[in-house]
Amino acid sequence: MLIDRTPKGLLPKIINSNIILRCRSTSTEDSAPYAQYVFNRNPRNLEKMRIAYKPAGYHLEKPGHEFWHKLQITISKRHVTASVLHHTGMVPIQVSTAEWAIRKQLYSTLDKVAYTTIGKVLAQRCLESGISEMMNTYEAIPGSKFEALLSNILEGGVRLEEYPRYKLPNPWDIERPEKPWEHY
Amino acid sequence: MSRLLKNHYLFLNTMCVRFRSSRKNLGKPPGVAKTLKERLEEINFKDPKVYFKVDIGLPMPQRDKKNETIKRIEYIKKIKTNAELEKLSRNNTLPVSLDEISNEWSKTNAPLHIKKVAEYYGVFEHLFGDADFTPYIQINISYDHDSKKVPVYRGNIIKPNEAMNNPEVNFEAPEKTLWTLSLTNPDGHLNQENSEYIHWLVGNIPGGDISKGETIFNYLQPFPAKGTGYQRMVFILYQQSSEINFSSINCNSEKFDLNKRTFSTYEFYRSKEDILTPAGLAFYQTDWDNSLTNFYHDKLSMSEPIYEYDFPAPYIKPQKWFPLKEPFNLYMDKYRDEKQIAKEFLMKKLQKTHPFQKPEPPLKYPNAVPFKKSTPSWLKLEIKKERLRWGRVNDY
Repeated sequence: MLIDRTPKGLLPKIINSNIILRCRSTSTEDSAPYAQYVFNRNPRNLEKMRIAYKPAGYHLEKPGHEFWHKLQITISKRHVTASVLHHTGMVPIQVSTAEWAIRKQLYSTLDKVAYTTIGKVLAQRCLESGISEMMNTYEAIPGSKFEALLSNILEGGVRLEEYPRYKLPNPWDIERPEKPWEHY
Repeated sequence: MSRLLKNHYLFLNTMCVRFRSSRKNLGKPPGVAKTLKERLEEINFKDPKVYFKVDIGLPMPQRDKKNETIKRIEYIKKIKTNAELEKLSRNNTLPVSLDEISNEWSKTNAPLHIKKVAEYYGVFEHLFGDADFTPYIQINISYDHDSKKVPVYRGNIIKPNEAMNNPEVNFEAPEKTLWTLSLTNPDGHLNQENSEYIHWLVGNIPGGDISKGETIFNYLQPFPAKGTGYQRMVFILYQQSSEINFSSINCNSEKFDLNKRTFSTYEFYRSKEDILTPAGLAFYQTDWDNSLTNFYHDKLSMSEPIYEYDFPAPYIKPQKWFPLKEPFNLYMDKYRDEKQIAKEFLMKKLQKTHPFQKPEPPLKYPNAVPFKKSTPSWLKLEIKKERLRWGRVNDY
């Protein structure tokens, strides 16, 4: 059963500049088989192209809110959980030693092997879900369990740092930063 | 009057009294007033009585939870008493297999995790509106590229040249059941907003064998236009309760007609609501690569579309008759026609370039080249910008 709840004619046509990508064609043809504007609805697209906004927060706050994705690690009395937080509050990926698939192979859920496994599985699931970089605010003591977790995420192919947002330069600005979507 | 007396600031304002601005005149103090976060939450609040999701998927498979937990507890007890495992674990040499984890995960937590990621990518919102489902059936999809397997998970990136031919699809299904598999792209429509292209539609698949199914739309490779970024390609597996006659939408021809491939999953599902039940989900993201130029020319026989993100125009304050303390040349430039400026820069560039000679080498020390004595300061700035390649010179 599908319900159509949009009241007809009441909903204003809004182009949310932080979600929808509105592109302009560079062609000058009159009878092109494609429209002058196309819309990409993928909510993750602008983040991948590094155009999307990051919430700035207050500049004296530490670690601040300026991220698209952030690594979150919670350690409870029994389990370690690593998750990826999006700035809207969504948690798309969560890996925990409480999961039976992981718990099954471990001797202890809090030792170094558990931490390494969590790191490996998080990296794998991130890449499977199209997330290849996130902000990390944790600092680990060298040689600790925590460090094993972070290093295993890195080894799995996920960057623990996010690139800055691309801002379109004004015509009178001095520099023209390179466009990320043309070079990467 | 009483309201005026209560509100100090309003009172002073209405009586035209000059007063010194202080914190208390600016509104409620920070502890009492709502924060931006609270206000945004209030603005973006959606009433769950109105905006709820309708579950259109398969029911949750029955599990014997009680027995399962007993078995799991026993299993853990066995591990805990295993001295060898303890030794390995203490030495950090306990072998943990990632394949086994993902295998077990696909039997236990996978449906909920896939659903979460799909919500995060807005898949249900754009394909089914206010409905969603939990993908209890796992589909294994992989493309073959250069005799390498390129699997489709939930949002991983696959380039168009890896997805030229139709993928291999496997899922476990009892023999006498019928299935439908669709591959749609909700982001890449070249003519209409909020539309999809159907890339592949196979119906009446008996018992999970794709090759025996009836192909309604043959496989069309992803073709994201240049500059439009990453587009989602969504595989949806439906379970059929009976055989469907697809002859009304059948379009199985060698030529790709994009107008006929305009599709709406919402409408498709709605028309066959009683027979179809969504059961499985997988998707990937794809963006432009240089193999697509030929595809547009040969297969779609059209010129290749190139797009660029339409940034909002910068704010320029309204022009004044007598602007004070503004550099006249920079101020005037802001209100000139951009096309005229572009023309001037281009003409200057063309005057300097010689068709048969090498371009002039850049100045080694551009700041050390002296200006003529009679040059005015504004012109000095313009020359300096050109020598150092600052500003508009980079655009043209």
